[in-house]
Amino acid sequence: MPATDFQGSFGRSLLTLRRDQVDSSHHHQPSTTMEVELDSFQRQVAEKFIDLNASAGENNLLSLDWISKLLDSFLCCQEEFRAIIFNHRSQISTPPMDRLLSDYFERSIKALDVCNAIRDGIEQIRQWQKLSDIVISALDSSHRPVGEGQLRRAKKALIDLAIGMLDEKDHSSTTNLSHRNRSFGRVKDNHHRSFGHFRSLSWSVSRSWSASKQLQALANNLTNPKPNDVAASNGLAVPVYTMTSVLLFVMWVLVAAIPCQDRGLQVNFFVPRHYQWAVPVMSLHDKIVEESKRRDRKNCCGLLKEIGRIEKSSRVMNELIDSIQFPLSEERESEVKQRVEELVEVHEGLKNGLDPFERKVREVFHRIVRSRTESLDSLC
Amino acid sequence: MEKPENHATESETNAHKPDDESEQQSHNPTETPESESSSSELSLTQAMEAVDGFIQSLSSTDPLLEIPPSVEPFPETVDSLVSKMESSGLGRDETEDSAFILAVNRISKSVMTLRELRLDSTPVSSWLNRASSVQNRAASLLDEEFRHLLDRSREKKNKNHNNNAGDVSSDSSTHETDRCVLQEEDTFPDFPPESISTLKKIAGAMISAGYEAECCMSYEMSRRHAFKEELSEVGFEGINVEDVLRIPWESLEGEIANWISIVRRCSAVLFPGELSLCTAVFPDAAATRKRLFTGLVSAVTIRFLDFSGAVVLTKRSSEKLFKFLDMYETLRDLIPAVEQSDSDLIEEIKLAQTRLGEAAVTIFGELENSIKTDQGRTAVPSGAVHPLTRYTMNYLKYACEYKDTLDQVFQTEPEPETKPNQREDDEEYKVSAFARQMIKVMELLDANLEVKSRLYRDPALRSIFLMNNGRYILQKIKGSTEIRDLMGQAWTRKRSTELRQYHKSYQRETWGKVLQCMNQEGIQVNGKVSKPVLKERFKVFNTMFDEIHKTQSTWIVSDEQMQSELRVSIAALVIPAYRSFFGRYKQHIDSGRHSDKYVKYQPEDIETYIDDLFDGNPPSMARKRT
Repeated sequence: MPATDFQGSFGRSLLTLRRDQVDSSHHHQPSTTMEVELDSFQRQVAEKFIDLNASAGENNLLSLDWISKLLDSFLCCQEEFRAIIFNHRSQISTPPMDRLLSDYFERSIKALDVCNAIRDGIEQIRQWQKLSDIVISALDSSHRPVGEGQLRRAKKALIDLAIGMLDEKDHSSTTNLSHRNRSFGRVKDNHHRSFGHFRSLSWSVSRSWSASKQLQALANNLTNPKPNDVAASNGLAVPVYTMTSVLLFVMWVLVAAIPCQDRGLQVNFFVPRHYQWAVPVMSLHDKIVEESKRRDRKNCCGLLKEIGRIEKSSRVMNELIDSIQFPLSEERESEVKQRVEELVEVHEGLKNGLDPFERKVREVFHRIVRSRTESLDSLC
Repeated sequence: MEKPENHATESETNAHKPDDESEQQSHNPTETPESESSSSELSLTQAMEAVDGFIQSLSSTDPLLEIPPSVEPFPETVDSLVSKMESSGLGRDETEDSAFILAVNRISKSVMTLRELRLDSTPVSSWLNRASSVQNRAASLLDEEFRHLLDRSREKKNKNHNNNAGDVSSDSSTHETDRCVLQEEDTFPDFPPESISTLKKIAGAMISAGYEAECCMSYEMSRRHAFKEELSEVGFEGINVEDVLRIPWESLEGEIANWISIVRRCSAVLFPGELSLCTAVFPDAAATRKRLFTGLVSAVTIRFLDFSGAVVLTKRSSEKLFKFLDMYETLRDLIPAVEQSDSDLIEEIKLAQTRLGEAAVTIFGELENSIKTDQGRTAVPSGAVHPLTRYTMNYLKYACEYKDTLDQVFQTEPEPETKPNQREDDEEYKVSAFARQMIKVMELLDANLEVKSRLYRDPALRSIFLMNNGRYILQKIKGSTEIRDLMGQAWTRKRSTELRQYHKSYQRETWGKVLQCMNQEGIQVNGKVSKPVLKERFKVFNTMFDEIHKTQSTWIVSDEQMQSELRVSIAALVIPAYRSFFGRYKQHIDSGRHSDKYVKYQPEDIETYIDDLFDGNPPSMARKRT
């Protein structure tokens, strides 16, 4: 499904759509319509996050599927927000809305760089996927028996996978090692595919870019709108704050889940309880922070559930292979088969989910760009 | 380890040898100098024959109980070959490489075939186990060699660059130019044909061995690095959206120019080169090729689209139009180079183009706005060409250089309701969306100028103003074939007509009354020339002419030709009339006193003074009669 699918329906037709809506609500008093509109937005955001929170069970939180849902929710909220701004565009060029909106757009632009960095992370995950694919096909025991050669092949892929999944900070030593070895020309015992330097292929963002700094900048000075601003903007300051918070949360989740450059989750994220959506969002936030502190996930390169599963499966497989002696006993054979099946399960999930997920991230990117260019065009 | 040059000739003769076993046999190994290898190659060939026979004899129903003795040592034979190749490396000796590859293919085939069967016997399982170990070892070596070969070319290229850089001892600017020139001339990728042939063999062997995944990963990794190096050499690094939006337009323009040249290089050299390499290394695996090519060009192209996406987020302003259009065209030309890849990528490129196009439309619309909002209440002194006219026409002239692109861009825009007008008959107008936009702008300009003209209280000056601006517009249109064709003949003719009308208006406003006072009617009273009337007439003429001269010398007609035309037409109008009036009636005044009080001007003087008109002289400089 090309990225343009979502685009087509929303482009200029928004004009006609909104024109109709405004026309039909002619007979209402302006302020009531607006109140209803703003309230409906709050409710929608809350509903989405309550739903996300409910489905954030042990195995589902931060899975590809769940994050995709999160992105969908973002796209919906963003669309609603865009409509609200459009409906009240007469107000957006006067204070305080001009300042508030411009602030929102600044932050949304920071989010664009996050999306690009995430794309590199997805690419990395793809490489792991390919490696686990090798393991699976090497240990394919439908043609019995598994030979020593196949085991070696699987082993090599598993080691490459382990190296590749090392957290960035631990990586520099391996990278240097691999670089040194390569510069010596022909190396006979460096059989390992030095995936360290795959990371250096990430060039969606500049070398000095930092995900954690970007998140901090996104969150900087994000505070509940002052009562003055709310009054002066006829309440429009509230949806701006809401959308900004949603944006920040979504970006934060992406950085938490997917490997990216200088990944860090220390962000001051707090929403006052009186917002309908505050409780589910904060609950999700807390769950994710907890997840990041768990011993087995503390130094991982990304909290994505599938990453953890691959890591675990491949580690277990690696240990199993190390313990194997030839010839394989039936017991060993069935163990291998079992582990392979586990790996296949994770692998399938990734294989089917990764491409659509990437497209969704791309869609988020496009949507943010679109809302920015629309506002730029409307200024002309 | 460099490949010895004298092998070039040998590879020429061997290059097109098919990997056929019988051919291999005819190239009798006993011809090779080393007797040791000749004996092992002899047995190798025989062993491979035996393996072939063995594989063919295998059936899926008969259980295999033992391995024939001729086949039994094969795994170890291949194993020692692997060891040998490990130390000598591939790509040095074509014959050796081919032999090795054939051996590897054999062992792969035997492993794959045996694994299909039911194996109940231990010796067979054991043989299979040994064989698969050797196969794995061989595949690992092939993988190493594959990567080594791919990367070695890159290193060589870098060394070349560094050497050249060292040679250039002059200042850094020349250094940069030289490097750029070198890159332009380079073919990409820069692999010698022997390397490609070896790569192809290795890839084929790895795929046959079932190690396609490893092969592709190695290929992809190496090529991505190559691209990354290529791009950073020309200064294209990862760039943040934020940074793009932060830097001033002057700097961004430079980045855009850089971007354009890089993308163009990709379209022309890098991507086609990559496709060739892919095709050469993986000739028999179309799906693999497509996947690899797509992966590579997507990774690179997305970076380009990131940049263009960020540029589109900058504030709209009119000077950006042409750079945006340049980028639009560059992306358009990129599409053919990535045709062999996924359609997703092409969609992304088109989307990026659309963004640029939309921005271009907005910016062009800015032109319309700036015309509409130009409502100064101060008339341009002297009726000269208004700055708005100059700006608009120069902008349009430049825009017309992008006529076709702008047409594409405007075609995708929904059209506002267009007024039906007489232009319908012009073919170009009907066909070109951009032409319609141009005309809209011109109409706005006309309307604006019309309003501005009414700021002049003097109707004659109003006419001069309209003539000046109309003439400027017409000359600009005529001066460029593109605009002229775009606007159409009818439009141009209409404007010329209007100019003539303004001219006539001017003449009427200014000179009508002057001519009137030279009218013969009423001069004769009762059949005799009335001196008082005559005196009055001369006086009136003098006053009027003085006034006109004083005022209209300060007016400007910028276009030299039009200035001269005006003067000539005035002269043609006034001088004959005055000459005849002067000639006829002067004598009636001559005889009286103070004749020079009334007859101020000789006919020749009139001509001289007419030449002062429209010079734009400040009032103080108006020539005084001595």
